[in-house]
Amino acid sequence: MGVLATAGLRVLEAMFVLGWIGSIVVLILTGIEDVETLVEIDDINDR
Amino acid sequence: MSSPQQPVTPPNDRVRIVVATSIMLTFISFWRAAAIILNDLGSSAFYAGGIAEQAVGKSAPWFVIAVMLFAFAVRAVYVESCSMFVRGGVYRVVKEALGGTLAKLSVSALMFDYVLTGPISGVSAGQYIAGLINDTFVIADAHGFIPRALHIWFHGTPRVNENAASVAFALMVTLYYWWQNLKGIEESSEKALRIMQVTTVMVLMLLGWSTITLVSTGVHLPPFPLLKNLHFAPAALGFWKNSQAPHLFAALGLIIGFGHSVLAMSGEESLAQVYRELAHPKLKNLKRTAIVIGVYSFVFTGLVSLLAVMLIPDAVRIPVYKDNLIAGLAMYMVGPQILRLVFRAFVVVVGFLILSGAVNTAIVGSNGVLNRVSEDGVLADWFRKPHRRYGTTYRIINLVVGLQVFTIIASRGNVYVLGEAYAFGVIWSFVFKTVSMLVLRFKYHGERNWKVPVNLRVAGYEIPIGLASVALVLLSTAVVNLFTKSVATVSGVVFSVVFFTIFVVSEKINLRKHANVHQQMQEQFQLQQADTVERDELGIRPGNVLVTARDYNTLSHLKWVLERIDTHEQDIVVMSARVSQFGTAAYDLSTEQIFSDYEQQLFTRAVSVAESFGKHVSLLVVPARDVWSAIVQTANNLESSAVVAGLSSKMTAQEQAFELGRAWEGMGEPKRQFVAQIVHPDMKVDTFHIGPHTPSMKTEDVHLVHRLWLNITHEPGLDKLHHNDILTEALTRFARDYTGHNRDEILRELRKATGGPVTSRPIGGDGGKSGAHLREEEESPPRKKKEEGPPSPPVVSP
Repeated sequence: MGVLATAGLRVLEAMFVLGWIGSIVVLILTGIEDVETLVEIDDINDR
Repeated sequence: MSSPQQPVTPPNDRVRIVVATSIMLTFISFWRAAAIILNDLGSSAFYAGGIAEQAVGKSAPWFVIAVMLFAFAVRAVYVESCSMFVRGGVYRVVKEALGGTLAKLSVSALMFDYVLTGPISGVSAGQYIAGLINDTFVIADAHGFIPRALHIWFHGTPRVNENAASVAFALMVTLYYWWQNLKGIEESSEKALRIMQVTTVMVLMLLGWSTITLVSTGVHLPPFPLLKNLHFAPAALGFWKNSQAPHLFAALGLIIGFGHSVLAMSGEESLAQVYRELAHPKLKNLKRTAIVIGVYSFVFTGLVSLLAVMLIPDAVRIPVYKDNLIAGLAMYMVGPQILRLVFRAFVVVVGFLILSGAVNTAIVGSNGVLNRVSEDGVLADWFRKPHRRYGTTYRIINLVVGLQVFTIIASRGNVYVLGEAYAFGVIWSFVFKTVSMLVLRFKYHGERNWKVPVNLRVAGYEIPIGLASVALVLLSTAVVNLFTKSVATVSGVVFSVVFFTIFVVSEKINLRKHANVHQQMQEQFQLQQADTVERDELGIRPGNVLVTARDYNTLSHLKWVLERIDTHEQDIVVMSARVSQFGTAAYDLSTEQIFSDYEQQLFTRAVSVAESFGKHVSLLVVPARDVWSAIVQTANNLESSAVVAGLSSKMTAQEQAFELGRAWEGMGEPKRQFVAQIVHPDMKVDTFHIGPHTPSMKTEDVHLVHRLWLNITHEPGLDKLHHNDILTEALTRFARDYTGHNRDEILRELRKATGGPVTSRPIGGDGGKSGAHLREEEESPPRKKKEEGPPSPPVVSP
């Protein structure tokens, strides 16, 4: 039971860490796209 | 059920109803969309930091910042879902990916989120107010301003019980918005924008003043989130409070901390709900909205949580300011005490505005979600029965508010407990949503204009690494939360199971019932689906009369029209607007959903009234976000000469006409003027011209124009002058004088002429620059003219 619980916790930890690594890449790539969107934001006149 | 031997009534004998399936929306800019979302998302800044620090200790701000950063990735998931489905909310996406059962489960979690948004916001606002009152008493007492009698009465400095006061306040606000929603409150992006403008002023002052304070006190960052720095409160470990695991596994400690801070990003679902109403170009504006809310909430919720730990001393931060952290921050800035107290009062006012708004959002949102699922047959029709007077789905509103009142009382004003429970709904609705999006990457082959990045192609298959990563973080956090948030797990599971059971049972009852109703409807009505409302679809002539109908108990205005209109000359269209409240525009409506049991009853009654006059009426159902826009757009599309409505139970005839005028001003070109007639229950009728119109002229004015014309045409070279040339010149001069130095004199003269202040109501948001105003038909003989009935159709070519 203890081994299973430990394995379960390790799986959750791995999911979290791997997920965060991937999410950081998502943040960087979407951040670049966001900056591009902001650069062309000068055409906004629809307030 | 019909059988081959007993065919249903032939289609030609049935009453034809045109059901428009596209919701008539008023589109909003991305700034307004961002303001609506931030009213929900930004409100968590007032309590998220305090809750996180109580759970994990002084490192909490780093977790809140991590959540706000991660929220950018979650937002990317929402952008992708909206690029696939215009109404890309949780229910729609989960149903598409995982089927009806899990969709019902996800809606149950979402409902838990919505139901708790109200209590946590109301109680938190109460804590800010009570905290301000108590600190004001303390300061006043220190200066000797508290009367001795009061001192004796309270056995010291007077103070209010924060928890009891916040429960009372939350109940008051909830019941206020219950009443407003029962009456049918109008959601306004304008109001949301104003609140966010005031909030922005507060945030800028907070950041500026904090920076000055940091310069004088020095920068002391909170301890980084390392295992040795995490000090979990026993309540923060839930079922693991006796386990060593959280103290041994470093990453597990991070997940627990992250899980206790996740409520900071509650409100993301609103992004999917406002998408439908975003102006063109939709996807680009959605991205802009996502950037605005991302940056704003990161700065507000993330940085303010960090500053609170840096500036408020440890001795008072949690013991005194745990439930009103921003108020505490205001009190520990550099500067005179009175100035800090004034700023704190400003923080409380902003908190009151934004948190009270969140209470309303919770009621409106959960009402919208339950309306949507009930339209899908997942909730018994009983819940959707409209209020006899206001026409709102009062049973759903009562259910939601009843649950919120229960939650507020049960919480006893404890923001921490509410926050813990709230996180359950937040995280699980995100998990359902993201996992569904992952499934749809393989299952859905329709249009998808944007994808969460990092997608590898291996052997012809696309591997959505980015989307899977977001799903992994959410799922691992949600699973760990199940163990560490015992109150949330128990209450969330019980709530979700109860709602899920209600949905399943309701669906079964509805399936049986709808089979019979559908058959009856098929026998009586022939539904003709149309994307938009067009005159040809209804087979009517221009100059028709549009009669709005909402309540089948009040159709006297239809009788009034039928008495006066010769339907051989002028067509009558009875229109029912199926209002989708804020939030429900995020979902698809099928023809059967738009034309529900209620519309069937309404039209059965309308047809029966028309038949009693031996006249024909055309029937139309229009889904709408804003009923006034729907009426005006429909009148415009159908080239109606008049719109006739009954007197509203909530508004005066003038207010109804003003709303029509406002909607008319907001409508795009080309647009036609029409006459609006509001019929009172006693058959008194008020008539208004909507849009610019030729004013009725007094006889003496006509004579004056004529005399001027006679005199001027005697002048050399002016013999070909027309009467209208005189009017044009006179009005041009008048306009010039009005905008020049004669304005006051003109107003004085006009006041004299009207016997009181001349008040013109600007239409729309341009401050009256449009020049179009509503004017009651004051110059017509009061009774005779008003009872003549709708105007005759214009002369048209066949």
